[in-house]
Amino acid sequence: MPLDYRRFNGPEDSVSYKRFTKGYLKSYDELYKESLDDKGVRKDGRALSEARSLFARTDMVSQAKGSSYVELRKTKVVCSVFDPREIPHQNEFSQLGQIFCEVKFAPFSCPRRRRPHVPDAEEKALSVALRKALEPTVCRHMFPNYQVDVFIYILENDGSCLSAAINAAGLALADAAVPMYDVITSCTVAIVGEKMFVDPTEAEENLATISPSTPINHGIITLSMLSELKQISDFTQVGSMDVECVVKAMDILDKECARLVPLMQKVLVANVLKCFETRKRLEEEANEKEQLLNAKMDEWKKLLKFT
Amino acid sequence: MAGLLLSQSEKLFIVHGVQDDYRSDGRSNLDYRPMELETDLVDTATGSARLRLANTDLLVAVKTEIDVPSPDKPDLGKIEFNVDCSANATPQFEGRGGDQLAVGIANLMQAAYQSSQAFNLKQLCIFEGKQCWKLFVDILILECGGNLCDAVSLAVKAALFNTRIPCVKAILMDGGDVDLQLSDDPFDNKLLDVGTAPLLVTLCKIGDKCVVDPSAEEESCSVVSLIVGITGTPSCYSDQENLAEVGGKFSTIDMNGPGSVAPKTLKDAINQGIVAAKLLDKALAKALINERKENIRTKKSSYGFLK
Amino acid sequence: MTSHVKIRLASERVNHSVTTNNDLPRFYTPGEVVTGMEDFMRGHGTYAVDDSLKAAVAGVMQKVNKLICIRPRKNRYVGEIGDVIVGRVLEVQQRRWKVDTNSRLDSVLQLSAVNLPGGELRRRSAEDEQMMRKHLQEGDLISAEVQSVFSDGSLSLHTRSLKYGKLGQGILIKVFPSYIKRRKNHFHHLPCGISVIIGNNGYIWITPAGQTNVVEGDDDEMAAVELQTVSRSDRDTMARVRNCIMALAASKMMLDDTSIMFAYEESLKYDDVKDLLDPEAMLDVAFLTQHRINYVVEE
Repeated sequence: MPLDYRRFNGPEDSVSYKRFTKGYLKSYDELYKESLDDKGVRKDGRALSEARSLFARTDMVSQAKGSSYVELRKTKVVCSVFDPREIPHQNEFSQLGQIFCEVKFAPFSCPRRRRPHVPDAEEKALSVALRKALEPTVCRHMFPNYQVDVFIYILENDGSCLSAAINAAGLALADAAVPMYDVITSCTVAIVGEKMFVDPTEAEENLATISPSTPINHGIITLSMLSELKQISDFTQVGSMDVECVVKAMDILDKECARLVPLMQKVLVANVLKCFETRKRLEEEANEKEQLLNAKMDEWKKLLKFT
Repeated sequence: MAGLLLSQSEKLFIVHGVQDDYRSDGRSNLDYRPMELETDLVDTATGSARLRLANTDLLVAVKTEIDVPSPDKPDLGKIEFNVDCSANATPQFEGRGGDQLAVGIANLMQAAYQSSQAFNLKQLCIFEGKQCWKLFVDILILECGGNLCDAVSLAVKAALFNTRIPCVKAILMDGGDVDLQLSDDPFDNKLLDVGTAPLLVTLCKIGDKCVVDPSAEEESCSVVSLIVGITGTPSCYSDQENLAEVGGKFSTIDMNGPGSVAPKTLKDAINQGIVAAKLLDKALAKALINERKENIRTKKSSYGFLK
Repeated sequence: MTSHVKIRLASERVNHSVTTNNDLPRFYTPGEVVTGMEDFMRGHGTYAVDDSLKAAVAGVMQKVNKLICIRPRKNRYVGEIGDVIVGRVLEVQQRRWKVDTNSRLDSVLQLSAVNLPGGELRRRSAEDEQMMRKHLQEGDLISAEVQSVFSDGSLSLHTRSLKYGKLGQGILIKVFPSYIKRRKNHFHHLPCGISVIIGNNGYIWITPAGQTNVVEGDDDEMAAVELQTVSRSDRDTMARVRNCIMALAASKMMLDDTSIMFAYEESLKYDDVKDLLDPEAMLDVAFLTQHRINYVVEE
């Protein structure tokens, strides 16, 4: 339900019931213990450097030019890309095509609070980050004065939603046959002290954003790569960390992004193969039908000759 | 800034200059242009600063108000950044023209000040869970001549350094409500601890090198710039000798512009950023402490905007 | 890696004024009566009401015989035929270029007013029209001369001489046109080994002396000249001249080859060119230059 802007909208005063549960105000150490046990195993059974398994497919939205669906266990993202259209409300000619990105959270997507319908600051920031990540990979000179719309809908958010969105957008752009220089992949790492949580869940991200009492490194880094060209298309970091930590995280993310490339290629190729097979099957069916028809024709011709 | 037209050979001249580590006005790649700073010039704000860097002119004012802390961070105060791109700066900012830039800078500042190692929000707490100070940092862009982010972060730090918060004399609990008694003596106030407040350094990639403090012409030669937020060194801001050597950590890293960078360039750039930020911090501390000493000796006279 | 950061306080602000004598000229403000109408002619910056001549801008009066003008400090460029200007191509249009020359309206450079490669006396064919962007592109800088002034005040330019044409590598500085002293020659090869074009329109172009305008010659040769790197010593001198001009402009001094050269010589006591960005150094250079000019004038 869209909001009525002509009215004065008061603040929503309902709060999540979780505020009154025991687990709401846990101390930093409790949270840390919960995310990582003594053996270095995370809550969901992964090792620190292990990313979640990625499930992706294209052609999710039938009416879009290209679309994709990406799932990192509980993080679920849908992306659709539409045909290029002329840039609205612009008089000046722009030599390069533009990419318009919109990231939207489903109202129920976040574990902590309900998302409002109006785009909030985080959604806007994510949209900008996504656009910045995609701009270097799309051959924008191929469609001057036109814009490509990329819409991301986050169905469920369990951490690393920006990387999931970038991965999904890369797939959808490729699926829509928008010319691109390279396959774009992205990965996130959450840092708490010496530990680096690759592909963090929401709880781990939260832990990394809380400022600890001791001056240790903490924060989140998201990196998106064009692996074939060895170029970083976007890099965002928040928190507080020193140079060695950033450099180390970059190397980890670099490898992780490179690891995703063959997966992406497989998804894209699988889609093409599927189309190809469908066409082949249809062609075979058509052939069979034609043969049957021909046989029938021959029969009739024979009958005609007799009479 | 967009809209600045340069010929190919002018661009070439700038690129060669950067390669040679000798820019058009004789600066090396790591040199800043001279800046001018004045604090405490807005009487209606609790803290203010004006910074002029070549043609970039900013006014930052801090307003303090009382707010209720958010339930999951009961012992922390709040800080909020607002950027206003006045149409005085360039006609492009007219109407909603400057909005995107303004939101971008505000988000960047918010991210840079997020960690407690960058800015400790505990000092803004009045009564845990009930009352806290909220700082509204309003940044007014009066003139825009390149390198906005660096100038904004410097001016914000100066304004926060200048901010005086009234002392709380007594807190009365009346049923569930809190009743505060503030001191009405204008000299009975406390200063904020801003030693670690981060400074942003923009590193503009021109050719395959990065420069700090780009002029508008240089900005239009580059497709991508890296913005790093680096926490300050508190020992510069205080006379105490025994302070631990902290600071010099990244509180935010972001990329701007449609281009991409190679990993090695990025690593070089962040190292370059740290060097520049440390020097900036030292120079700022020197200027601020000088001004404070001067103001104690003689009555403060305002210089304002006249040149 | 060394870096150089300087933050000064507003209380240490430098006053850039270098006037030595205290007799300031009479200033007029908009609407102020300058003189009666009788036997005077209305010039720029004035208007006539009833029987009196009033100022339309804030500035000083200038009287040429019976013509009375008020000259403001900050003005757009008002072109006169024969002026040398430096301009930037804004648009490529049908048989002409739109050029920004800092005047009120954009100036025009006709295709018929340029020297095309292959001899001066050549018919402009349809091919030339299609090749216009090859010749001058959006953003290119040119030096040119004002050929005529249209009735609306916009200028028509020409580059029909070897000294005019497209500019290569260098630094452009923009100052107010009122700071430019009118001279016979606006192309100067300074003894320090670089050339400056002091455009009457307030745009000043600094370029290494070796770089001449490349109009003739085939395209490959042109490209090769344009791609050459400027040597470090040339760069150093250019930056110094640039900072000197900025210092003079900040102190509102008139610019011509003498004042620029004086400023350059005075600035040599600062070893590092970037030191000239400091307001104190700028004032010092401007002050010393003013003294030398006064000295020369007295002699």
